[in-house]
Amino acid sequence: MVFLRSEEHLERWLGANGWEPGASMSATTLNELARRWWWTRLEQDWRPRTAAGSQEILDELGLTGQFWRLA
Amino acid sequence: MDEHDLWIRNHVYASFVGTGTAPTPRDAASELGLDEDDVAAAYRRLHDAHALVLEPGSSRIRMLNPFSAVETPHRVEARGASWFANCAWDALGIAAALHTDGSIRSECPDCGEPLELETRDGDLVRGSELLVHFVVPARRWWDDIAFT
Repeated sequence: MVFLRSEEHLERWLGANGWEPGASMSATTLNELARRWWWTRLEQDWRPRTAAGSQEILDELGLTGQFWRLA
Repeated sequence: MDEHDLWIRNHVYASFVGTGTAPTPRDAASELGLDEDDVAAAYRRLHDAHALVLEPGSSRIRMLNPFSAVETPHRVEARGASWFANCAWDALGIAAALHTDGSIRSECPDCGEPLELETRDGDLVRGSELLVHFVVPARRWWDDIAFT
């Protein structure tokens, strides 16, 4: 996933690559997602998160719907 | 993923954060007093468990998410050091994982313009006007994680 300057740049980039639109969010929302997703990654007692736990993080940020289903 | 593999995994992450270089199985084996083949097998199990990502057909580490062991368009500075990130999400994840502030230099893939973001005390204080796009749906993220 990438940062883009605007919707106009997104549409041009998707078109140039022949890709269907996926899902967009603000960089602010992504920052919150990143904080929740990666916060424990370097802790010595880190353990793999369950799929349900990962799905819960997405759900909490309103990232719901088929695109955001992990399984 | 057993405690032995988690121990190796934690060592690899700590080594990468400290040096910016992902240890080879030989490096890690030497540092941990283990057999190189055993470490290579552990790397493979960790890869299969999505706890790190190896280069295809190799025991060379490509990703220690959110960190990238190879150069990417996303560069993150934090704690006076810098690392590459795998993607936009991981770029914001590095400062989060380090529990510190961070600065990100990236680029718009459409026009190539440099983009700068900054987090402070967990908040995005620069770059909030930017858009993020996911091309790949969540259930397929690990089909080709390098593309994702």
